Amino acid sequence: MEYGGGREGGGGMNGNGTAYAGALSPAARYAESGGASLTWENLTAVLPGGGGRATKKLVQGLYGYAVPGRVVAIMGPSGSGKSTLLDALSGRLARNVLLTGKVLLNGKKRRLDYGVLAYVTQENVLLGTLTVRETVTYSALLRLPSTMSKAEVRRVVDDTLDEMGLRECADRNIGNWHLRGISGGEKKRLSIALEILTRPRLLFLDEPTSGLDSASAFSVIETLRQLAVDGGRTIVSSVHQPSSEVFALFDDLCLLSSGECVYFGDAKLAPQFFAETGFPCPSRRNPSDHFLRCVNADFDDVAAAMKGSMKLRAVCPAAEEMFEADFDPLLKYSTSEIRERLVDKYRISEYAMMVRNTIHEISKIEGVIEEVVMGSQASWCKQLTTLTRRSFTNMSRDFGYYWLRIVIYVLMAVCLGTIYYDVGTSYAAIQARASCGGFVSGFMTFMSIGGFPSFIEEMKMFTLERQNGHYGVAAYIISNFLSSMPFLLAVSWASASITYWMVKFRPGFSYFAFFALNLYGGVSVIESLMMIISALVPNFLMGLILGAGVIGIMMLTSGFFRLLPELPKIFWRYPVSYIVYGSWGLKGAYKNDLIGLEFEPMMPGQPKLTGEYIITKMMGLSLNHSKWLDLSMIFVLLFAYRLIFFLVLKAKEAAAPYIRVAYTRFTIKRLERRASFRKTLAMSSMSKRHNQPPHPMAVQEGLNSPMPY
Amino acid sequence: MKKQGGGGGVAAAAVAAAGMVKAELEDVGIKAAGGAVAALSPLSETLWREKAAAEFLGDVSARLAWRDLTVTVVLGGGGGGGGTTQDVLQGLTGHAEPGTLTALMGPSGSGKSTLLDALAGRLAANAFLDGTVLLNGRKANLSFGAAAYVTQDDNLIGTLTVRETISYSARLRLPDKMPMEEKRALVEGTIVEMGLQDCADTVVGNWHLRGISGGEKRRVSIALEILMRPRLLFLDEPTSGLDSASAFFVTQTLRGLARDGRTVIASIHQPSSEVFELFDRLYLLSGGKTVYFGLASEACQFFAQAGFPCPPLRNPSDHFLRCINADFDKVKATLKGSMKRRFERSDDPLDRIMTSEAIRRLITYYKNSQYYFAAQQKVNEMARVKGTVLDAGGSQASFWMQAFTLTKRSFINMSRDFGYYWLRLIIYIVVTVCIGTIYLNVGTRYSSILARGACASFVFGFVTFMSIGGFPSFVEDMKVFQRERLNGHYGVLAFVISNTISAMPFLILITFISGTMCYFMVRLHPGFTHYLFFVLCLYASVTVVESLMMAIASVIPNFLMGIIIGAGIQGIFMLVSGYFRLPHDIPKPFWRYPMSYISFHYWALQGQYQNDLKGLVFDNQDDELPKIPGEYILENVFQIDVSRSKWLDLAVLFSMIFIYRLLFFAMIKVSEDVTPWVRGYVARRRVQGKGARGARGRGADLAAARSPSLRAYVVDAADDLPPA
Repeated sequence: MEYGGGREGGGGMNGNGTAYAGALSPAARYAESGGASLTWENLTAVLPGGGGRATKKLVQGLYGYAVPGRVVAIMGPSGSGKSTLLDALSGRLARNVLLTGKVLLNGKKRRLDYGVLAYVTQENVLLGTLTVRETVTYSALLRLPSTMSKAEVRRVVDDTLDEMGLRECADRNIGNWHLRGISGGEKKRLSIALEILTRPRLLFLDEPTSGLDSASAFSVIETLRQLAVDGGRTIVSSVHQPSSEVFALFDDLCLLSSGECVYFGDAKLAPQFFAETGFPCPSRRNPSDHFLRCVNADFDDVAAAMKGSMKLRAVCPAAEEMFEADFDPLLKYSTSEIRERLVDKYRISEYAMMVRNTIHEISKIEGVIEEVVMGSQASWCKQLTTLTRRSFTNMSRDFGYYWLRIVIYVLMAVCLGTIYYDVGTSYAAIQARASCGGFVSGFMTFMSIGGFPSFIEEMKMFTLERQNGHYGVAAYIISNFLSSMPFLLAVSWASASITYWMVKFRPGFSYFAFFALNLYGGVSVIESLMMIISALVPNFLMGLILGAGVIGIMMLTSGFFRLLPELPKIFWRYPVSYIVYGSWGLKGAYKNDLIGLEFEPMMPGQPKLTGEYIITKMMGLSLNHSKWLDLSMIFVLLFAYRLIFFLVLKAKEAAAPYIRVAYTRFTIKRLERRASFRKTLAMSSMSKRHNQPPHPMAVQEGLNSPMPY
Repeated sequence: MKKQGGGGGVAAAAVAAAGMVKAELEDVGIKAAGGAVAALSPLSETLWREKAAAEFLGDVSARLAWRDLTVTVVLGGGGGGGGTTQDVLQGLTGHAEPGTLTALMGPSGSGKSTLLDALAGRLAANAFLDGTVLLNGRKANLSFGAAAYVTQDDNLIGTLTVRETISYSARLRLPDKMPMEEKRALVEGTIVEMGLQDCADTVVGNWHLRGISGGEKRRVSIALEILMRPRLLFLDEPTSGLDSASAFFVTQTLRGLARDGRTVIASIHQPSSEVFELFDRLYLLSGGKTVYFGLASEACQFFAQAGFPCPPLRNPSDHFLRCINADFDKVKATLKGSMKRRFERSDDPLDRIMTSEAIRRLITYYKNSQYYFAAQQKVNEMARVKGTVLDAGGSQASFWMQAFTLTKRSFINMSRDFGYYWLRLIIYIVVTVCIGTIYLNVGTRYSSILARGACASFVFGFVTFMSIGGFPSFVEDMKVFQRERLNGHYGVLAFVISNTISAMPFLILITFISGTMCYFMVRLHPGFTHYLFFVLCLYASVTVVESLMMAIASVIPNFLMGIIIGAGIQGIFMLVSGYFRLPHDIPKPFWRYPMSYISFHYWALQGQYQNDLKGLVFDNQDDELPKIPGEYILENVFQIDVSRSKWLDLAVLFSMIFIYRLLFFAMIKVSEDVTPWVRGYVARRRVQGKGARGARGRGADLAAARSPSLRAYVVDAADDLPPA
C-alpha cells in the first residue's frame, strides 16, 4: 500500500543532496532519490489545419525535466503555450493536436494516468456548503479503497489537511454566493489537497495563483514547495504573473514565448542568462516581470498605440522625446526582436546544453514507480452512499436548493387553499375542482425551475469529478435521486396537506396519500427533466427559457387546457400526451377526487351528476383502469427520465472529444476573423480560458452575483 | 492666476500662472516637463475654452488635499445590540496635484478603496467622515461630475462598438448646442487619447458575443469618464484582472492623462514592476494608517531608512506589500504549524520579525520622518491658497436629447442582443405553433366553449409568462444604468421613458407575429376589429409583464430571487384571473377585492372572452336542444359583466402599463434617495447611541451632499484568513 510509504520514500533524499557528489548535474541528483522524474525532449505540438487553414505550431522543440523535490514553473505571456505544454506533459491534449517528441517518466515511455499524476485545474469546483474537512473526507471515501477502516481514512484526511496547512479552517464552510466562506488561497489549497489524497508522485497545476492576492498566492506556492520537498513529489505548475516572493519560491523555470523556449533551467540562474544576452534585470525589478516584459509581444502593440496617442498629446516636440526617455530603456528594441535574440541565444547557450545533459542523466537512472490503480478504488456501494450523503448535506445546507422552494410552495399552497377554500359540490365546483388539479400539477411543478442554478453548479462538479474518474454515472444519478427524495417528499407533503385540508377534497387518508404521492411524482419528474436540460444547455439563461418552454407545452397537452380526446391525434395525442407526466397526473387526480361524489346539476331539479358521469362525459376520460395505475405510470416516467438522463450523460462523455475538436476549430476561426490588438492570441486557442483570470478579486470577496454566465 | 484660452499662449500663461504647480513638479523630479505639464492638450481646451470665455475662470487645475481624515464604519450588528463601529481610516493626511498620478496601495482590507471613496465623496451611508477634504483650498463637494470616478467593474453595453459606446455617451452629456462636428472630433480625440483606435469598431462583447479584451474594456470605461474632461480623476483598481501588458498600457494612459494637467488618483492592488515605475506619488496604507506618503521613487529609500531595505531583484511594490501585509503572519503561522523540518532557511529579514511588528515600526517611523512633515506643510500651504471653484459637470445635454439618445442606444442594443428579444421571438413562435395546432380550427361545438376559454387563458397566462426570460438582460441594463446614474449622466425619467419606447417595436413585432399566427390557426372570432383587439390585448399584457419584471429588477438585483419572485407574482395573478376559479367564486376579501382587479390577467381575459364569444352561437350538448348564444355563456359560464365594453378592459390594461412604469420610476427613486438616507439615519442613531464617538459631532453634515455609493462596507480584514 502506498499511504505513508510515500513520505518515507521522499524522506531519504532530503538534505542528502550533497552526498551524491558524483559527476551528476544537480538536478539529476534529485532524480536519483526515487519518485517520479519526468523528462521531455524535442516536444512539438501541432494543430493541423484542415480545410485550407494553415497548420499552427502550439509549442515547438521544447526540452526539459521535472525531478522529485523541485517545483518547475512554466511562465510566459498569455498565448505562449503554457497550457499546451502542461496538457502535453499530463497527457490531456485535445485529440486533434499532434504531439511529437518524447515524454519519459523515469526514463520510460509510459501512459500518464490518474493515480500516478494529479492535475489541479484553474477553476476551483467545490460545493460551497460543505466544510473543508467534509470536502476532503467525502473525496477520500469516494476514492480510497473501501477496505480502509474509518480510522485510517480519518488519519489520511488529517494528514492531508496538515500538509496543506488547512488545519485552522478545517471546520469552516467553503462558501458560495450567499454564504461567506474561506479565502481564495484556502480554496486553492483545498483543491490541491483533494488531488494529493491518493498520494500521486506527479502534480500538475494550471495557474494556481491567478486571482489570489499576494499573501494567498505565497501561501499556495509555499505549500507546493513543502509538498515537493517533504513528500518527494514532482511538481509542475504554470504561473501567470508571480510576485517577487512567489517567484523566489520556484526551483526551475521554463520560460516560453510563442511556443518556443526562451529559458529552461534553475530559476536562480535565469537573471544571469538574461544579463549575458544583453538584457540585464534592473535591480529594483521583479525578475519574472522583467522576463515577461522582454518576451511579451503585446508590449510592441502597447508601444505602438501609445506613440499614436502621444503624437496627439504632444504640444511641443520635446514632449515626445521626454516620453521616449520616460518610457523604457527596453524600447530601443521591439519586443519581438528581443524575443528573437533570446531564443537564438538560448539555443546555443550552455544552459541548453546543461538541460540536455541532465535529461540524458536522468533517463539513465533506473527509477521505480509503483503502479497505482487509476480512478477510484472504492466499491460501487461505497461511492453511492458517500455521494448520497454528500449531496444530501449540500442540499440541506444550501438555502437556494430546496428551502427557498419549500417556502414558495407553502405560500402558493396557502394562496391556492384560500382561493378554493371549501370547494363543495355545487355545479360550479366541478370546474373548480378540475382547475385546482390543473393548477397544482401545472404551476406548482413549474416552480422547480428555481432550482436550476443549483443543478448547473452540481453538473459542473459532476463533470470535473467524472473526468477524474472519481465515480460512475449511475452512482451519481441514483445518489442524486435518493438525496433529493426526502426534500421532494417534504415539499409535496407540506403543500399537499395544506391544499388538501383547506380545499376540503374528499376526506380519507388514502385519498390524501394519493394526492400527495401524485404531487411528489410530478415534482420529481419535472426535476429529472430539468436535470436533463441542465446537462444539455451551456448556461443558465438558455436552460431557463428552454425549461419554461418545455413545461409550458407539457401543461398544454396534459388534458386540462384542452381535453385529451380533443387533442389532435397526430403528434399531440400520440405520443406527446402519453410521455407527459401531466396527463397521467391529472387523470389520476380526477379519478381520486371525483369518483363516488355527486354534484348539483346545472339546473335545479335535474338529477344529480355523479363523478363517474363527469369523468367519462365531461372530461372524456375512460374509467378502464384504476387511479393507482395512473400513479404508477408517473413513476415509470420518472424512471424513464432518469434513464434518459443517464444516457445523455453517457452520450455527452462519448461525444466530448469531438465537441472539443469542433470547439477548437471554431475558436481558431473566430480568432482569425478578429482584427485587433490581440492577434497573437491565436496561439492560445487551445486553452479554453485565460487572458484574464476567470475570477477577479471580487469573487473572493463574495461580491459576485450568482449569475453563472 | 488667470488664463485665457487659446493656442500656444496657454502653455506660456500656465507656466507663469501656475508657478506653484510647476515648482512642485520640478521637485517631483520630472525633468523638462513644465511645458507639457501645465498646458492643456488641444482636446481639453475645446471643452474648457468655452467656459473660460464665458465666466472669469482662472486656472482650471484641481488641487486636492486632505487632512486628518478618519472614516468610521458602523457595522450592522447581526446579533442585535446596535452594531459596532470601526475606524477604517485613521488620521490620513495627503495631497494630490495636477499633473501627477497618485497611487493608493495597500493589502486588501487596508482601506485604499475607502480612502478613494472618501476623497470622491462616495462613502456608503453607514460610513462617517471626520477631517477635511479640500479642493483648491475650499471644502470640496465632489458629487456628480466635478470629479470622474471609474469603478472596478466595467458595466458596458456589450453589443455596441467602442466608438458607438463613446459617442452615445458624448451625446448624452455634451451640451445640445455644441455642433455635431465638434462632438465627433471630441469622441475621436478621446479614442486616440486612450489608444483605442485599433478596436474602435469592435463590439464590446457579452456572454455570447466575443469582444474586446479586458484591458480594452477598462480603457473604454476610462474613456467614458474623461469625455467631459474632468480635472480630477479617481480610479478604483484600474489594473485588477488585467495581464501585464494591458495593465501597463492602462497605467501608461493614466500617466498621460495626468501629464495633461489632470489630477489622477488610483487605488492599485498589486502592480507589476513596470506599472509601479509609472507612479508619481505613492500613498501606502496598512490597516487604515499611513505607512508612507511621498514620491514613489523615494519609497525605497524610506523603507531602507526604516530598516527594511528592498532586496535586489525585487519589485519595490511587492516588497512594500510584503512588509505591510499582516496576512503574511497568518500564512506563516499556518505553514509553520504544518511544516516538518524546514523554515531554517531564511534569506529574508522579514522572516525574523512578525509583519505586524514591521507595520508598527514603519508607521512610527513615518510619523517622525521628513516625508510626513513635508506632506503636512504642503497641505497647509494648499489650504491657504484659495483657487477656482470647479463646478459640477454632470450632464449638460437637455432632457429631450438624453431621452432621444438613450432610446436610440437602447434600441440598438436590443436589436443586436440575441438574448434580449430575438430568442424570445423564436420561443414565442414555437409555443404559438404548438397552441395553434392543438386548438386548430376550434369551431363552435359544445366542447369548443371551454376550449376557447382555455386557449385564451393559456395565451394570456403562459405566453406572457415567458417574458421572465428577459430578466438577465434587464439586470444587465440596470447595472449600466446604475453606473451612469452615479456619474450623473442622465436622469431617471429619461431612462424610464427611453426604456419604454425602445422596447415597443420589439414587443409589437413579437405580439403581432405570434398573435396573428395564433388567431388564424385557432380561427377565433372572425372580423378585423376582433383580430386587432386580440393582438392589442396580447401586446398590452406582454408589456405589463415586462414592466413588472423591470420594476422587480430595479429592487432585486439578484437573478435567482428576481425570477422566483416574478414567477410567484404571476402565478398568483393567474390564479385570480377568473379562469382557474370563476370570478364569483373567488373569495371576496383579499382575493377578489383587490387582487383580481390588480391582476392584469383578469382584465385581459374579460376583454378577450367578450371579444371572442359575443355574437357566436354554439351547439348544445345534444342536437335537439337549442343552440347557445355567446352572451349566455359569457354571463352564466364565465360570469362576465357583458354590459362593460371590451375596449374598457383594454384601456385598463394600457393604464396598467403606465402605472407599472411609474412604479418602476418610483422604485429607482426610492432605492436611490430614500434607502441610503434610511441606512444613514439608522447608522447615525447607532453612533449617537454609542455616545462617546457620536459626541464628536460627525454625522451632522455628513448626510448632506453625498453621492450614492454602491459599496456596502463589510469589514473583512480579519475574516479572510483564519486567526493564527
